Amino acid sequence: MAQQPAIDPMHQFLIHKIVEIPPVNLGGFMLDLSITNSILTLIIGAGVVMAFLALTARGQIVPNRAQAAAEALYGIIDTTLVTPIIGPGGRPYIPFIFTLFMLILTLNLMSVVLALGNIGGLEWTFTVTAQLAVTATLAVITFFSVFILGFIKHGPKFLGIFWVPGMGVIGGILMVFIEMISYFVRPVTLAMRLFGNMLGGHVVMSLFGSFVVGLGIFALSGGLATLGWLGSGLSLTMIVALTGLELVVAILQAFVFAALTTVYLNEVVNFGHGH
Amino acid sequence: MATETSASTEAPAASGGLPQFDFQWWPGQIAWVLVIFVVLLAFMRLFAVPKLGGTIAAREAKISGDVAQARALKEEADAQAEAAAAERAQARAAAQKLAGDARKAARAGIDQALAVEEARLAEAAATADATINAARDRAMANVAGIARDTASAIVAKLTGKAASAAELAQAKG
Repeated sequence: MAQQPAIDPMHQFLIHKIVEIPPVNLGGFMLDLSITNSILTLIIGAGVVMAFLALTARGQIVPNRAQAAAEALYGIIDTTLVTPIIGPGGRPYIPFIFTLFMLILTLNLMSVVLALGNIGGLEWTFTVTAQLAVTATLAVITFFSVFILGFIKHGPKFLGIFWVPGMGVIGGILMVFIEMISYFVRPVTLAMRLFGNMLGGHVVMSLFGSFVVGLGIFALSGGLATLGWLGSGLSLTMIVALTGLELVVAILQAFVFAALTTVYLNEVVNFGHGH
Repeated sequence: MATETSASTEAPAASGGLPQFDFQWWPGQIAWVLVIFVVLLAFMRLFAVPKLGGTIAAREAKISGDVAQARALKEEADAQAEAAAAERAQARAAAQKLAGDARKAARAGIDQALAVEEARLAEAAATADATINAARDRAMANVAGIARDTASAIVAKLTGKAASAAELAQAKG
């Protein structure tokens, strides 16, 4: 039997350094800012976003295809999310939501579209949004920006979001605890949703990928093992289908993150009106 | 299949669990995400969003402006058409009035001429009647004399003696 490649779907998430940078001393804590494969992909993703928008946002009244594409992406945030959910008061927060959306969307799509190049030691892309450190940071940025904005705009009255009216005093105090738990669990769900979706999809794709190769090599040994071709072909079909599904997940998760950010911002901007 | 499962159990043993929970990589990733997010946010706020949003707003303003202009032009054209129609109606009314007046004047002239002519004809007819009546009366007067003479002659022829004037007058009745 030929040498089997190890099936390790987690290998794709391993981080390794590419450019070593001497650690920065932050009051005793050594912060290692070395460029890893994760950070390099993150920088490339941000670069792609900026290059795309810089090249396509030409400001013409009659847009060409690329400009129309950029405006359609902007329209998802402005016309589909912010204006219907928050209203005109949400206008100042469009850059924030658009940044989250474009960054997550680009990193997600890069991890699916370029995944084909990650064969035999090559690494075209890395799934940055399957790194819990990254999704948690984005979720925390979002959560605390919104939470702090609430206090800036409304002062201590903003704590009123935890008070459910019409429950009486004891019921109200009980509800405050439940409301606080459900409020402060938001960054966790925000981070875990994106992380879990990207992780799961890529693990399954990687598994089917190993089946294609593994069963194919197994089939080479002849005899009854020739049936392995069947399994190998089926796995290949599954990968094609899963790639389509993962493209949908990549776009959907970026949209969900942006939509939830918009909903959270709405509570702050329209606090007191119909809360 | 058996070999594959055995292979999979030995490989990840080195890292143990999810590589994402290898916390040595967390501080660097968090710091870089913060930096990149701030850079991207600045790019969006200063360039991308004003450019894209401004373009979309300018396009909507241009379209609504053009539509408003077209509507104003259409209204102006409608008003002009209405004015032209009113002018035409006025001109038609004036022309009709003029024609009516002319017809009326002509009829009045004709009526007057007719009346004059009729009066003249009536006078002529009356004169003629009078002449005829006079002539007839004269003729009738002659007829009585002629009849008497004829009757006297007939009587004289038949009776051989002339009838007296009284008898003749009596016979005539």
